Parts: sequence; structure tokens; C-alpha cells
Amino acid sequence: MSDLFSLSRIAYTLRETWASFQRNVTLTAAAIITSAVSLLIFGLTLLIQHGFDNLLARWEGGVEMIVYVQAQTSDEGRAVIEENLTKQVGVTIERFEYCDVQCSLADADRVLAGDPTTRGLLTEANIPTLYKIVPTDGTDVAFLRGLKVDYEDLPAVQNVVLAEEQLDLISKLQGFISTYTTGLWIALMMASGLLIWNTIRTAMFARRREIEVMKLVGATDWFIRIPFMLEGLIQGILGGVMAVGAMSFINWRWTNGVASFPENSGFTALVVVDGYQWTVALIILVFGALVGMVGSGIAASRFLDV
Amino acid sequence: MIRLENVTKSYAADVVALRDASFDIAKGEFVFLVGPSGSGKSTMLRLLNRQDRPERGAVWVAGRNIIDMPPSRVPLLRRNIGNIFQDYKLLSNKTVFENVAFAQEVIGKPRHVIRQQVPAVLDLVGLAGKEERFPHQLSGGEQQRVSIARAFVNRPLILIADEPTGNLDPATGEGIMRLLDRINKTGTTVVMATHDQRIVNTMRKRVIQLDRGVIVRDQARGVYE
Repeated sequence: MSDLFSLSRIAYTLRETWASFQRNVTLTAAAIITSAVSLLIFGLTLLIQHGFDNLLARWEGGVEMIVYVQAQTSDEGRAVIEENLTKQVGVTIERFEYCDVQCSLADADRVLAGDPTTRGLLTEANIPTLYKIVPTDGTDVAFLRGLKVDYEDLPAVQNVVLAEEQLDLISKLQGFISTYTTGLWIALMMASGLLIWNTIRTAMFARRREIEVMKLVGATDWFIRIPFMLEGLIQGILGGVMAVGAMSFINWRWTNGVASFPENSGFTALVVVDGYQWTVALIILVFGALVGMVGSGIAASRFLDV
Repeated sequence: MIRLENVTKSYAADVVALRDASFDIAKGEFVFLVGPSGSGKSTMLRLLNRQDRPERGAVWVAGRNIIDMPPSRVPLLRRNIGNIFQDYKLLSNKTVFENVAFAQEVIGKPRHVIRQQVPAVLDLVGLAGKEERFPHQLSGGEQQRVSIARAFVNRPLILIADEPTGNLDPATGEGIMRLLDRINKTGTTVVMATHDQRIVNTMRKRVIQLDRGVIVRDQARGVYE
């Protein structure tokens, strides 16, 4: 194995990989583009999921109702709300959680990520704090609506929002988009794997005479395989690089576009502006490399006896 | 150097290529395999470099039974065996130098060794000065010399030649035989399958004759018959 990495072998491998690339330009381009499209859809699926997660973050853990408390409410005002909630615990409410000013600002960072102007208007002085409420029976819509009316009447309450008003629609949309985009990227990923496989098979067939001579003079199977696997790997990585470029562009356009949407459109949280985009970029590159490596590796092993 | 023990090889139930074949070839011998087409000559050569495996018997090369050799060891075996073909099997997109160097590159010989040994072997086969030519710019005899140079550049213990003069005119064929004889005199064992009666009769080397997979004659300093 050690002489597999000698300088002359590395030089030979790189030269042969480059020669193979030039020999199958159209097939190689097709494989790279298909990889790029499938990886792009894969990346966008992850970003969309993350956007939805931002939208739904405040409803995690069975939260069905949020009571917004007016900014600068006194402790006495908040105590009235909390007393009402505490009385219900174990009866109609399973538990509740108070989100103070800092927690509310962090929540606003997420929800208003696509609307920096609105986010900029929120400060410690004017942001409403909130109570997240988990009812004992989240499916009893009539009861929740009644509860909402009860709490809206309390003096320090700014407004009350039910999960059914936001969550149901968003969840349905998330499920719908996730199902189809996931199906699409899996299908396209398989197509790109097969295309890379076919490119390598064609390359090996075109070089069958060389391979025959190599085997007869004592080249190991790994030595013969590696330039082909490297070719597949590079195709996958190039597809990944193209996908990352396209994904960054689309995400940039979407983020800028969302800023001009109405504040209450519900889309302001459906953006990815944190480092998650670069995590996805890395995942895409690794995935592209893997698809290229596996596709070409299988082909190089299967068609070695050309 | 080479020993076959009761080797039987068939390609289908009713197509027996070799039947119970046994012989010994000593180091430095020059052996002709003769017989009509389909008699098993090429099969025998394929068994020697583990391109094929027999159903029964043992094939010993350089002291090892290569039938039981794990696949990972086969490349090492082949580095000790040079192959020459009737159709040369040269790579058309590579120059003479590159074709010969290819045999060293793929087994990881350092570049400085390649730069030293390839010109030397090209000189040996009479192709000095033609390093930069491509196969299509050479005559049949010259192409076969390139093929011999490629087979010999790693100084193998054994040279296997399958009808090396089959595509050449008699005068060119004689030149190739003189070259193989010179290589044989360096101590390399040569096993050559041929139909060329004139060459066999001129060289007067050991002759193993096959007929429908059976060794019917094994004669020192033999003729074609």
C-alpha cells in the first residue's frame, strides 16, 4: 500500500484522471450538472426545513397558546396572569412557561430574521414578554378558543395567539414541501450517482486496452481503480460547488425579497441568515463527494475485468 | 521455474482446453508450444500468468503454486512475467517511450529509474532514436519490438509470447526471434506459442506439442513436424 502513494504514482494518477476528464467531456458535464441540481434541491430542502423550524420554534413542546404581555407591565400586572394560569395547572393546563425580555428578544431574532427593520424597532423597553401554555388536551379546539377569550380580557395582556391559527397551516405547508423536495432530491441523487457510474463505466470501456495491459504488467486493482474513483469524486465535488453557489444566490435573493413582505405575512421567519447556511454547504460538498466516490467506486470495481 | 502438474482446464462441459497436462520448464529455457488452433496453447499461457485457473492440477511458477494464490498477490506474480502478443497491444495514444515506461509507471517505479531503464531497453530492441514516435508511425516489426521492450523492461523471470511473429513477414519474424533469443541468453525463461514451422525448425529449441488439449510430444531441440 505504501508504494501506492509514491510521488510517481500520484503524478500518474492525477495525469490519468485529467486525461479521462478530457476524454468524456459531455458525459462528465452531464454528470456534474445532474449532481449540482440534485445537491441544490437537497440543500434548499435543508434550508426550507430550517426556515420552518424558525417559524415553529415558539410552538415546540406541545405549546398551544401564547399569551403576550404588554411591555413594561408591572410585577403586579403579571402576577394576575400567572395566578390565573397557576390555578389551572393540573386541571386544564398541563404546564406553562414564562419567556422574559431576554427570551423574547432571542425569539424575535429568530422570527424576524428576514425583517431586520422591524426587528430593529424592538428593544428591551418595548418588546412584549410572553407565556407559553401547554394544555392538558391540545385537541380540544373549542376549549382553547374559550381560554383565549378569558385571557384576552385580563388587563396586562396584549393579545393571545392559538397554535391552530399559525401552526396548522405552517405544519401542513412544511409537510407538503418536505415530502416533495425530499423525494425529488433522493431521486435526483440516485440519477446523478447512476450517471457518474455510467460515466466511469464508459471511461473504463474506452480504456479497456490500457487496463488489460496494466493488469498484465502487474498493476494492482486499487492502482487501476483510483484514477476512476478520483474522477467520480471530482465530479461529485464540482457538482457540490455549483450547488453551493446556486444555493447561496437563491438564499440571498429570498432573504432580500422577504424583507419587503408585509410584517404579518408569516414569512419573516422563513429565512436562514445564521451560520446554518455554511453547515449546509459543507454537507452538500461531503454528500457530493460521497455520491461521486460511491458511484465511481462501484463502477470501477464492477467493470475492472473489461 | 515453471511446473504444470496434471492440469485440466475446460471452458464448458464439452470443451476441454487442456487435459491432464504436466511438464517442467527450467530457468533460462526456451520452449516452443506448438499445435493447431484450438489445441490449448493460448490457454496454457493464460494459466501461467493467472489469467485463468484450471479445474484440476497445480501450476507452479517460481516456486509457488499460483492456483491458490490470493488475488492480491497476482499483480506481484505478473511483475515477474513479461507478455508479448500477436497484435502487440500497444497504446495508440502513447509514444514508444511512453508505451514502455507505462509498464514501469503502473508498478510504481521512480521516474529517474524509468528515465534510465527505458532508453536502455529500447536500445536493446533496436529502437534507439524512435522514442517519440507513435505506434502508427512504426512498421509491424518495430511495433512488436516495442511490445518486447515493454515486456522486458522490468526484467521479468519469464517471457510469455503468444504468436509474436504471427502478423509479420518471415524476415521481420526472424529479427524478432533473434531478439527473443538474445533476451533468453540473459537468463530469462521464454515460453512461446507459435504456428511458424520455419522458426521452430531453425531455432531447434525444446518443443511441447499439443493436440486437442493433450501434450502429445515434449522434445528437446525439436522441430515442428
